[in-house]
Amino acid sequence: MNAAPRKLNLSAWDDRYEQLRRNSLREPAYGGPLRRHVEREKDFRLEQLHFDNSSAALRLWNFLLTENERLRQARASGEKIVGAMKDLGTVPVMAYSLPGVRAFYPDGAWWTPCLMECSDNLLQQAEAMGIDASFCPVRAMLPAFENGEHFPKPDLLVCSTGAVCDDFSAIAQRLEHLGHSIFWWEMPRRRPPVSGETACELPGNLSAPKIQVDCVRMELQRVGKALGELAGKKLDETLLADGIRVANRVRHLLAELRQTVYAAPAAPLPALEMLVAEMLAIHFCSDRKETVAVLEELLAEAQSRVRQNQFVVGADAARIFWVNPVADLRAMNLLEDFGGRICGTDFMFTHALDLIPENLPPLEALARAALADPMVGPTADRAARIVRECRAVRAGAVVISRIPGASHCAREGEIIREIVRQQLDIPTIEFEIPPVCDALLPTLGSRLQALMEMLKAKTQN
Amino acid sequence: MRVFLTSPWIPEEWIRAHGLEPRGIWSAEEFRRGALPLSAGLCAFAEAAVRFAGAQTDSAVIFTTSCDQLRRGFDAATLHGQRRAFLFNLPATQTPVAKQIYRADLERLGQFLLELGGSAPRPEILRREMLQADEARRRLHEAAPVPAENQVPLALVGGPLSAVDRNLFNAIATAGGCVALNATESGERSLCPAFDLNACGDPFDALVTGYFENIVDVFQRPNTRLYSWLKPRLLSRRARGIVLWHFTGCDLWRAEAQTLREVFNLPVLLLEADETAGISPRDVNRLQAFVETLK
Repeated sequence: MNAAPRKLNLSAWDDRYEQLRRNSLREPAYGGPLRRHVEREKDFRLEQLHFDNSSAALRLWNFLLTENERLRQARASGEKIVGAMKDLGTVPVMAYSLPGVRAFYPDGAWWTPCLMECSDNLLQQAEAMGIDASFCPVRAMLPAFENGEHFPKPDLLVCSTGAVCDDFSAIAQRLEHLGHSIFWWEMPRRRPPVSGETACELPGNLSAPKIQVDCVRMELQRVGKALGELAGKKLDETLLADGIRVANRVRHLLAELRQTVYAAPAAPLPALEMLVAEMLAIHFCSDRKETVAVLEELLAEAQSRVRQNQFVVGADAARIFWVNPVADLRAMNLLEDFGGRICGTDFMFTHALDLIPENLPPLEALARAALADPMVGPTADRAARIVRECRAVRAGAVVISRIPGASHCAREGEIIREIVRQQLDIPTIEFEIPPVCDALLPTLGSRLQALMEMLKAKTQN
Repeated sequence: MRVFLTSPWIPEEWIRAHGLEPRGIWSAEEFRRGALPLSAGLCAFAEAAVRFAGAQTDSAVIFTTSCDQLRRGFDAATLHGQRRAFLFNLPATQTPVAKQIYRADLERLGQFLLELGGSAPRPEILRREMLQADEARRRLHEAAPVPAENQVPLALVGGPLSAVDRNLFNAIATAGGCVALNATESGERSLCPAFDLNACGDPFDALVTGYFENIVDVFQRPNTRLYSWLKPRLLSRRARGIVLWHFTGCDLWRAEAQTLREVFNLPVLLLEADETAGISPRDVNRLQAFVETLK
């Protein structure tokens, strides 16, 4: 059953799947060959990707690609569905604390144009609905809500607002104008405490004044009340504390996985699978229990490979710290194709990776975790964490992938790069990755190639 | 000392009560002068505010959190040690918590103004400033333009209009239109704050309530207040079209174009302000075509 770690294209995975089956592969209910996602869901992009060849990776991909189907099954079995929007990691912890409630991020529809290679015309439909290409690809969410062909219509839509991305806020507002009622909650822009203010420690080595933590706690209390009403059960401290413990189990696993993969002398798992694994932290891919199982298997695979000195990317690959999620998953393959490997990431939700404090009242702990969101605080805070992590993992360069049309990208990449250059003296590069980057492959490739060549020359000198 | 505000929702009365001189940054003559080299997606207004703040040696600039671009513009402005910049947290919602955030940030702004050399605001001074501002707003309300018979009444809706963009009014007039409603951030919409000094014993309470409960802007969530404010005015001014003025990269306004069309059943012309200050010949041409279709 075990094969040397390597990356396979979809055709090679067809054979690999048969081989695994012959060797008594045990799969969860959502299991099956990856090919079926192309045939049934029109996830054509899979044909252009290279995947890790482990059964753990197969399970991860099947888990990711069956999310909408699993949500529909949950709805059919009477569960309540919450559409959490924008906060990336907080509201789902609350929702999953309640029995019979599942939360997902409609924001995740931003990957649909990539997966379906725009064959579903979601971006064109968004344009017809008044949200054109000057907005981030998360605009795909708008027609997905309207046509109901992707995720089920949530029973409750909860969206954080205030210090959030304008694209998302504007698109969510458009959604509300189109008749989808939204429960808005305020997220203040995080700032450091000033003299005379009580400071509260936040996850991620951050701090905020108590007044901000109190405000977010009160807002989350409102959210909790709405969730409780939906579930027909009060979201009390005991339930929430249990929910936080399970969320932390996921975060512990991810921390261990990141440490195992990023600190290893070479990469035991590819960048693409790591991106998908990290995404599980934000809403457990609509199944909290299964997320734990998927991550446990992935971690076991990574640890086993490290023990056996088996890697998918060699030790000579340049160590890259990657900033921002990529609109096209293929970009993660591309980095490795050109001689790089991921040794650290900030996919815009580092607060969903940090442990939620368990020594505080649960709502207070969640408020602190929510305020640690890298996107609601000063860009310098985000850059400071990137610098800290780059030092810890000995990153050779920082790659910032811009999200097309995203209002925050216009400025923050520039600030992050300046701070990284000042404090680390390592090269940084920034480029935009559209949902399907094929047309830009020559440009992206040559930019990455130039970076890798420079890093290799630096190492040799 | 002059204190430049990037939003009309920061009470100028509060600055005056500290003995300092508030100014809308959009009204500064040197603001957005000349072409700004902009990287992709950057808002020209936010970039101009960053550069303006960087050039100030004896004035302060107050940024707000109302949009991504200004919020991160503040990050850029302070990256190199500019101390005379302040980021005011303007909440998007209208909940009690949001009001608390607004109030707390006004207090924090007060501290900042004291550090700048301002004087501690005495309640009677604040009350006087509020009464004067109320009176000024009342007079400005009365000065709403009345279109001539042969002019097409238009509503100008959108973000801030800076001094260099004022020729937009001439361009509209030349095209045969008239701005019957100036609902830009620096126009009539910014005159909404109103105080009930009798109901609130403490003028600061009245200031907080008078502003917070009367903010009418696109960044609010939900932004129903903006639509409720526009509706009677578009009707009473007989607006036949909407000119939507927005800066490049301003998602908040740009996303409203379709909703404005749907809600008010009026044609909407988008005019995009970019790195070049003022109205471009292309914009003039578009305005002319727009007005012509409405005649």
